[in-house]
Amino acid sequence: MTQGDSDATLVGRVLGGDVDAFGGLVARHRERGMRFAAAMLGDAADAEEALQDAFVRAYRSLRTCREPARFDAWFMRILVNRCRTRGAMRGRAARLFVSDESAVERAAARPGGDPDWREEIDRALARLDAMQREAFVLKHVEGLEYEEMARLTGARVPALKMRVKRACDRLRVLLREVDDARIR
Amino acid sequence: MRESADDPLIARVAEELRRPVAVRPGFDERVMAAVRRPVDHLPVRAWTWLREPRTLAVSPLGGLAMAAGLAALLVVGTWRPGSETGPSGALGDAPAGAAQAASADAASLVTFVLLEPRAGAVTLAGDFNGWDAARTPLRRESSGIWTIDVPLRPGRYRYAFVVDGRRFVADPAAPRAVGDDFGQPTSVVTVGGAARAAGGLL
Repeated sequence: MTQGDSDATLVGRVLGGDVDAFGGLVARHRERGMRFAAAMLGDAADAEEALQDAFVRAYRSLRTCREPARFDAWFMRILVNRCRTRGAMRGRAARLFVSDESAVERAAARPGGDPDWREEIDRALARLDAMQREAFVLKHVEGLEYEEMARLTGARVPALKMRVKRACDRLRVLLREVDDARIR
Repeated sequence: MRESADDPLIARVAEELRRPVAVRPGFDERVMAAVRRPVDHLPVRAWTWLREPRTLAVSPLGGLAMAAGLAALLVVGTWRPGSETGPSGALGDAPAGAAQAASADAASLVTFVLLEPRAGAVTLAGDFNGWDAARTPLRRESSGIWTIDVPLRPGRYRYAFVVDGRRFVADPAAPRAVGDDFGQPTSVVTVGGAARAAGGLL
């Protein structure tokens, strides 16, 4: 069983040759990873591919995880990079396009959510600078402290604060009208 | 603790983005199947490839580099790590666990070279550094030649140069990756433990 084991224990078991123990890490960190990747990439299928890729890369370089108790932070760094790469590889036009199919899939996957509102958010996020989007999601969605964000992204705290501020300013401009109409 | 957004609009955006996003059924199984898939190690094929006589088509940039006595890829020695990361922070993608090959720590030092006189910065992104374009910067030498030595464990790696942080450039003197999953030009280097050679031009 892996359910009750700590991340450090699971990492130790994987490094000891118990490949199945990695499944415990996947199950534990899947939801947060998917949420982050979906916010970053704006497309569920892309997010899932980035997440799977991140898990595989994490497995293959697991012995470089110096603090197994902090597997979550280490894995997030890999996922952030996967999302950066995947986002950079796609054309900006593609990022701006949120397909109906994707929106429908997400609506089905998130009972209680508002698909139209989410789609507007995805469109607005897609129009942000990639680094601003990343900083915003890490700060306001993942709830990280700036110091942790700095460790994760390699950027300095003042730069991250500026990115978050600019992202918020831009989102206000892009979403104010939609939000007003929605809550009226 | 999650920092609350002062602006209600931003708070509503964050709340929506925090909703769980489901993965398709069977996600965990697909990850574990990918994890169990052996890494594509092709040292024998690399050695065979190097020994076979062949005609190679080289781009003007690659030809210029070779004319200058440069090889875009050179395996210059074996690097035995004292720690888990190499001098440039590059990592071989050797599988974790007991199945890890005993020779996995015998990394070869591979020199990557790109001629880009007009570039302000050149980095390397590849399978060996998680495609993180910020982790492996090249040094600018004279005449616009950019270079870096990267310790790589035996294996097959896809990579590309990243010029000025945004333009992906395949190595003009290395085989192009087949079935590239990024839609951008990428190259392949194969580092074989026995052959100690890469799939580049020597």
